[in-house]
Formats: sequence, structure tokens, C-alpha cells
Amino acid sequence: MIAKLADGWRIQRRVIRALIARELVTRFGRENIGFLWLMVEPLLFAFLVGIVWRYMKGPEEHGVSIVAFVATGYIPLTLFRHAVTRSTRVFSVNGSLLYHRQIKVLDFILVRFFLEVIGAMMAFVTIGLVLYVLDEFPVPADTGSLIFGWFLYCMFTFSLCLVLAPLSETSELLEKLTPVTLYIMIPFSGVFNMVSWLTPDLQRIMLWSPFVSPMELMRHGIFGERVHAIWDLTVPVTATAILMLVGLILCRRVRRELVIE
Amino acid sequence: MISCINVAKSYPMGSGRKQVINGMSLDIMPGEHIGLLGRNGAGKTTLIKLIGGVELPTSGKIRRQMSTSWPLGFNGGFQGSLTGYDNARFIARIYGHRYSDIRDFVEDFTELGAQLKMPVKTYSSGMRARLAFALSLAIEFDCYLIDEVIMVGDANFHHKCHVELFEKRGDRALVLASHSPDLIREFCDRALVLHQGQASVYHDVNEALHVYEEL
Repeated sequence: MIAKLADGWRIQRRVIRALIARELVTRFGRENIGFLWLMVEPLLFAFLVGIVWRYMKGPEEHGVSIVAFVATGYIPLTLFRHAVTRSTRVFSVNGSLLYHRQIKVLDFILVRFFLEVIGAMMAFVTIGLVLYVLDEFPVPADTGSLIFGWFLYCMFTFSLCLVLAPLSETSELLEKLTPVTLYIMIPFSGVFNMVSWLTPDLQRIMLWSPFVSPMELMRHGIFGERVHAIWDLTVPVTATAILMLVGLILCRRVRRELVIE
Repeated sequence: MISCINVAKSYPMGSGRKQVINGMSLDIMPGEHIGLLGRNGAGKTTLIKLIGGVELPTSGKIRRQMSTSWPLGFNGGFQGSLTGYDNARFIARIYGHRYSDIRDFVEDFTELGAQLKMPVKTYSSGMRARLAFALSLAIEFDCYLIDEVIMVGDANFHHKCHVELFEKRGDRALVLASHSPDLIREFCDRALVLHQGQASVYHDVNEALHVYEEL
């Protein structure tokens, strides 16, 4: 039993490595900066939106640099948006790979998500360093909170991908509704404001969004005492656990019915 | 051995379902060569995909106790936008083989030369067949699943398949779907005729061919 599990794990590691290499080549080719493209889009987003906000609202908001505040919000948000977009129809797009039995549908979701996380993290570090040199970004006050918040945010995003990937195979509607849903959720993503800036009623509502507490944790990790962060881990942890369970069941079901050319 | 136990497969069709394979059982023993016969759309490709684990049966079970190739057919198994070499590298990685060994065998077997540096989507079906055979032969399976594709090659390819598959690897099991009576008669020990969702196994290949021709 244990030996069998170890064997499966070894094979899955091999498969995931091969899939990552393949995905990088098909997406970015072997020319110019190659896999560094992964971080270009989140980076540009965070920078440009940060600059626009700075000119619209001035250099600081509630005592923190507005560019840094926007950047710390936008990088997780782009991770979420990319991961969700890239997980739709991921089974049928990669269908021909299922000719090889050791490749599982979960590997597809995992690999695409993993690449987005790597890209977002590279963008996060890069923008942090550049803004630090420009004196717009602090040294993270509490690295532990930052990493834990990021981890929770990633896990929730991944659990949502696990549900959306199989659902998008069975429902065309879902695929068409995704872009507008991604847009509507922005106010509830915790990107543009801290919970503490809101009225008590709104605060209660915001904390029901699974993105908000991880986002607050990350901001606390970066800005420390200069912001007043409020979080409640129950919502993101419960939501992640439920979505993961549902997602795994859905993946299994959809795989059984999957028609491969 | 590969055991198919009461395997059924249906696909959604309109508001109902189309029953393609209707409860069949089959054991494939090591070294055994089984021919698959049936008219177009009878379910030969579906059965091969089920045995290969590409699609899963609607009900029933398939147990594989020997290593089984992916179905070698007109599509599947490759990434069209990648070159022949990239596909070889990918397949070497997922099956845990050394790329250099696979590459040498592929270059030698396919004789595709510089074409291996081109995306697979630019290949003709004969070229794809060469690549698919080369890769699966380089990896070495106990059981090869071959869907028609052997027919698309030229004489030189047939000769190579003959040597590498039927002579050097004559001890391996083989499931061969084909419309060519000669091929089935020459290489198969048993044959399976698929018709209207029912599978009938014949130990006498000539009898199977006779039934098939009467369909």
C-alpha cells in the first residue's frame, strides 16, 4: 500500500515536471525572455494601476503609499483572475494528453495554477524591490503573516479552480458568465480598501468574502502597524475545504464522461 | 493480463444515450494477438480507448496487469504545436526514460530527418504513424493497442513494423483494429467482431472474418 502510494507520487512528480516544461514551451516559446513572461502581465497591471491611482488620489491613502497599497492588492487579484480563466475547459484543451494514463486531469489544473502562482510571486518580489528602491515600499513588517495570507489566498483560488475546471466542461453558460463574475467580484476582493476603513455593517459583509481575510493578513504582513487589519480565518478556511471536496468529486465525475478525440 | 469485465460504454445523444458497447468481457493474455473487426462506427476505436484507459467505461471494470501502450491511432498522444523532438522529450519524461535513447530510436525508425524539428501538426498521417510507433516501441510495452493506423504507412514502414513489432516483439500482446483481412489473418490468434454493441469472440480467425464479411 505504502509502496504503491510512493510509486504513484514519484510518477505524478515526473508528470508534473514534464507538463510544466511543456506548458512553458507552448506558451512562451524558447525565444527572448521565455518563462519570465509569466510575471510580465501581473507586473504591468500592478505598476500601471498604481501609477494611475497615484495621480488620481495623491501619493498616500490612510498613511500608506498608494502605489504600494494598489500593488499588494493587484498581484493577488491578477493571480486569481488568471488562474480562474486558465482553468476553464482545461480538460478538453489538453485532452490528447490523456492518451497517457499516468497523466491525470488534476495534473492539468495543478500545473496551470502552479505556473500562475510562480508568475505572481516573481512579480510580487520584483515590484516590492523596485518600489523599495524608489522609497515607496516598506520592508515587510511581519513576513510570517504575509506568507500565511498569500498561502490562504492561493489555496482558496486553487479550490475554486478545482470546481470551475470540471463545471466548465459540462456547462457553456459557466464559461460565458466567468468574465462578468470576475469583474463584479472586484469590490469584494479586498484589493482597494482595508476592512477597517468601512462602516461596521459593511465590515461584516466584507468578512464573508473569502478573499478579504487573506488580503488583510498580507497587508498586515507588509505594512504592519501602519494599517489596522481585521481578519477572520473561519470563512476562507471553510470555503476552501468545501470547494476542494466538491471540486475533487466533480473532477472524478466529469473525467468518467469525458470524450476524447 | 488485461481483463475487461462486463464493460459498457454509452455516449449522450440528444436527450437519450447511444449505447456503443453493451456489456462485454474479454481477457487479453500476455503474448496474445487479438484482431478487432467491425464496420465503421461499430465501436472499435471506443473499445481500444477503453482498454487504453483514455476514456472510462460507463459501467464495468478494466484491470490492467501488464504495461499497455496508449492507443496508436490517427490522433491523440501528441501535442500538434510541438515538434517531433519536443513530443519525444515529453514522452520520455512522463514514462521515465532517457531522452537520448528515445531520440536515437525515433530518428532511426521514423527516418523523418529534419522534419522532426517541425510541429507535429504539419505531419501527414503516415508520418504521424511512424512517430507514434517509434515512440511506443522505444518505451517497450507488454501490450500494444493499434487502431487502424498501421495501414497508412508505405511499404518501407510496413517492413519496419513487421520486423520491430511482429518479429522482435512477437512475445508481446497486441490488440489490432483493422479492416484488412490479410493483416488480421496473418498476425492474430483470435478475433473479436463488434456489431450493434455486441462483441463476439472467435478463436478461429477465419470464422471471424467470414462473420465480418457477412455483416
